[in-house]
Amino acid sequence: MSTAAEAHEHGPFEHHGPPPIHYSSRVSPSVLGMFLFIASEIMLFGSFFTVYFFDRVVNHGVGGQWPPDGFHRPVFVAGINTLILVTSSGTMHWADTSIKRGNRAGMQAGLVLTLCLGLTFLLTQVIEYHRIGFNTSNSSFAATFFGLTGLHGAHVFVGLTILLAMTIRAFRGHFSPEHHHGVEIGGIYWHFVDVMWIVVYVTVYII
Amino acid sequence: MTVHEVQHEHAPAPRATGLRRLLVPGWLRIFWVTPLFFGLGLGLPVLIRWLAHWDPVWKGSVLVSVELVTTPLGFLVGLGGFDYWVRYASGRPTLPEDHSGHGAHSWRDYFRINTDHKVIGIQYVVTTIFFFCVGGLLAMLFRAELAQPGDQFFNPQTFNVLVSNHAALMIFLFIIPAFAGLGNYVIPLMLGAADMAFPRLNALSFWLLPIAGLMLIVGMVTPGGGPSAGWTCYAPLCSHQPLGQVFFNMGVQWAGASSIMTALNFLVTIITMRAPGMTFWRMPLLVWANFTTSLLVVIATPFIAGSQFFVMLDRVLHTNFFEAGGGGYVLGYQHIFWFYSHPAVYIMMLPGFGIISEVISVMSRKPIFGYRLMALSLMAILVLGFSVWAHHMFVAGMAGWLRVPMMVTSMVIAVPTGIKIFSWLATMWEGRIHFTTPMLFALGFLSMFVIGGLSGIYLASVPIDIHASDTYFIVAHIHYVLFGGSVFTIFAGIYYWFPKMTGRMYDERLGKLHFWLTFIGFNLTFFPMHFIGLQGMPRRVADYADRFADVNLFISIASFGLGASTLVFLFNMVRSWAHGAPAPGNPWRALTLEWQVSSPPPVFNFDEIPQVVGNPYEYGVPGAKHAIFGAPTPAPVPAD
Repeated sequence: MSTAAEAHEHGPFEHHGPPPIHYSSRVSPSVLGMFLFIASEIMLFGSFFTVYFFDRVVNHGVGGQWPPDGFHRPVFVAGINTLILVTSSGTMHWADTSIKRGNRAGMQAGLVLTLCLGLTFLLTQVIEYHRIGFNTSNSSFAATFFGLTGLHGAHVFVGLTILLAMTIRAFRGHFSPEHHHGVEIGGIYWHFVDVMWIVVYVTVYII
Repeated sequence: MTVHEVQHEHAPAPRATGLRRLLVPGWLRIFWVTPLFFGLGLGLPVLIRWLAHWDPVWKGSVLVSVELVTTPLGFLVGLGGFDYWVRYASGRPTLPEDHSGHGAHSWRDYFRINTDHKVIGIQYVVTTIFFFCVGGLLAMLFRAELAQPGDQFFNPQTFNVLVSNHAALMIFLFIIPAFAGLGNYVIPLMLGAADMAFPRLNALSFWLLPIAGLMLIVGMVTPGGGPSAGWTCYAPLCSHQPLGQVFFNMGVQWAGASSIMTALNFLVTIITMRAPGMTFWRMPLLVWANFTTSLLVVIATPFIAGSQFFVMLDRVLHTNFFEAGGGGYVLGYQHIFWFYSHPAVYIMMLPGFGIISEVISVMSRKPIFGYRLMALSLMAILVLGFSVWAHHMFVAGMAGWLRVPMMVTSMVIAVPTGIKIFSWLATMWEGRIHFTTPMLFALGFLSMFVIGGLSGIYLASVPIDIHASDTYFIVAHIHYVLFGGSVFTIFAGIYYWFPKMTGRMYDERLGKLHFWLTFIGFNLTFFPMHFIGLQGMPRRVADYADRFADVNLFISIASFGLGASTLVFLFNMVRSWAHGAPAPGNPWRALTLEWQVSSPPPVFNFDEIPQVVGNPYEYGVPGAKHAIFGAPTPAPVPAD
C-alpha cells in the first residue's frame, strides 16, 4: 500500500520495492507449485512403471516367468514396512492439524515421530537390499525391482530432508496457526511419497 | 513473508572484506566450493565401494556419473543458488529481501544469481544464442565432410558425434530454453506482475543450463570418444557407447530439470499472479502458448528423465532394462523416449506460435482472428500431442495394431494447427501490414512451416513413412519445422522485443538483410534434401553414393551461406545493444502490457499494478483499451 505513495514522493526513478502483489487465485503459489511438482513426479514414476510393464507383460517376463526362478520377494518384511509408512502419514497429519490449532508440542511430537518412522522405513529397505540375494545386474526383474523401489527410496530421502528442515524450524520457534506453510507443504509431499509407496508395493511385491 | 514486512528493509548488506569475501555467494566461493564437492563425489563412492568390498574400488563410469551430479551442485552452491533455502532449513531467520538481486547495473550482474526475471530472460537468450552458434559450427563441420563422397576430414565415428551433438545442442540448449528465456522476460510484464511467482527458483533454473551445455560439449572430447548414438540415444546402442555418452545422458538430465523448474514457475505465475481484470480470456496468446507448453513440459519431460536414467543404469549398474539378454524389452526405450520427445516437438513449437500471434496482430494493425479458437487449438494440440508418439516407430518393429491409430491421430493434429495457420492469414487479411524484421520472420515462418507441416502429413501415413524413414527427407522435414518453424519464430521474438529488452532499436536494414540471407540460405540448404531423401540417401551416414555428389556439394555451399547469415545477426545485436538509437516505450504501438512501460522497464516493472479492462488485440477498434493505469486498485488478497 505504502509503496505507491512512496514512489510518488520520490519520483518515478527511485523504486523502493515492488508494488503490492495482486494474487489472482485463492490457491497459494507454493501449494500450487508443490502440486505441479508432484504431477511431474508422478510422471517420473510413470516412466518406471512403463518400463516395468514392458519388461513384465509385453516381453512376457524373464523366460516366461515373473519373478523368474530363484528370485524371492520379501513380501512380509515389505508389508510391515508399508504399515510403518502409512502410520507415518498419520503422524504427519497430526503435526499439521496440531499447528493449525496452535498446539506447538503436538506439531513437534508429530514431526519427530514422522521422521523416526521414515528413517526406520529407509533403514529396513537398505537391510532388505543387502539380504535380498540378487543384484541389479540379474535380469530385468532385478532391474525393475531395484529401479522402482530405489526411485521411491530416493523420494523418501528427499521427503525426510524436507521434514528434517521443518523439524528444526519447529523446534526453533517458527510456525504458528497463521503461518505454517512449511509444515503443510512438507506434509503434502510426504503423503505423496506414502501413497506412491502403496502403488509400488502392490505392483512390485504383490501382483 | 509478506510484502509489507520487506518494504522497510532496503539497505543492501555491507560489502564483505578480507577472508569473509570467500563466504559471499559468487565466483570466489565457486572456486573453492566446486573442488570441495568434486572431492566429495570422488571420495563417497570410493569409500562405499571399499567398505562393501566391491571390486574394483575405483570404477570410471560410476565415478563419472556421480561427479556429474556433485560437481555442478558444488558450482550452484558456490554461486549462491541455495543460500536462502539453507538458511530457511536450518531455522535461522531468512534474510529479508533487500531487492539487491533485482536489476543489472553492469555486465557483471549477468554472471551472478539474479532474481529479476528481466535479467534472467536476457541471461537465457544470450546463453542460448551462444549454444546456437556452437551447434551451428558443428553443422558446418559435418557439412564440410559431406561436400564430397568418401572420407575427407572426419572418420565415421567423429561424424556421428558431430551430428548427435548438433541435434542435442540445438534442441535442448537452444530452441527449448530460448523460448523459456523470451517467456521469462515477457510473461510477468504481460500479466502485469512485478516478477515471477518463485524468483529464486527462476534464477536457479537458469544456471542449470550452462551446466547442461558444458556437459554436452565436454562429452564430445572425452577420452575414449564422444556420444555418437544420435540425439535420440536409442538403447541398447547407447548403453555401449564410449564414456562421453554418460556426459550426454547427464547433460540432458540437467537441461530437463531446468526446463521442468521453469515450466512450473510459468504455470504458477500465470495462475496466481495476473493483474486485476486479467482473466484467462484476456491473456495475450503468448501467455496462453507458454501455459500449454509448460503443462506439456511438466507432464512429459519426466519421461525423458526416466529414459536417460534407464540407459545410464544399464551402463553403470549393468541393469537389464533394455538388454534383451537379461529379459529387457528393447523397444521399451523408444516408446518411453518418444512419449516425451513427440510432445517435445510441440514444446519447441507452441511458444513460437504465441510469438507469431503477437507479431502478426501488431504488425497488421488488426485484432487476432478467432482469439478463443487460437487458445483452444493450443489446448487441442496439447492433448493430441500425447497420442501420436509411435509414428516415430513405424519401422521399429512395434506392435502392428498400433500403426493405424497413430497414423490417424498424427493426421488429426494437423486440424488445430491448420486452424492457427488460417487464423493468422485471416488476421493479415486487409490489414495494414508493416514489413518490419519481426514481421518478415513471421511471414517466413508461416510459409516455411506450412511446407514442413505438409511433409509431416506425408510422413504420418505409414506407407510413405516406411519408404522415407531414415533418409534425408526426414532431415528436410525436421529442419522445415524446427528451423523454418521454431528458429524463425525465435528470431521474430528477439527482434520484436529487442527494443524492450535493451532500451535500444536494432538496425532495421541489417535485420532485413539477415532475414533475406537466412530465408534464401535456408531454402537452398534444406529444400534439395527432399529430393535426395526420396531417392534414398540415408541420414546420419558420413559417406554416400557418388550419384548424390553434385546435390550435396550444392547443399554444403548453401549451408555455409546460411551459417554466415548468423554473423549479420550477431553484428546487428552487438552493435545495436551498444550504440543503437534509444527505443521509445512502445515503438510498435502495441496494446499488450509490456509495451505500456518504459524501455527497458523499471526494476519492478510497474509502479502500480495496472487494471485490465479489455482484450489485448483490439487494434483499429476505436476507443478500445487493454489496461488502465492509476485506477483504484482493490486491496491485495493475502497469500495464505
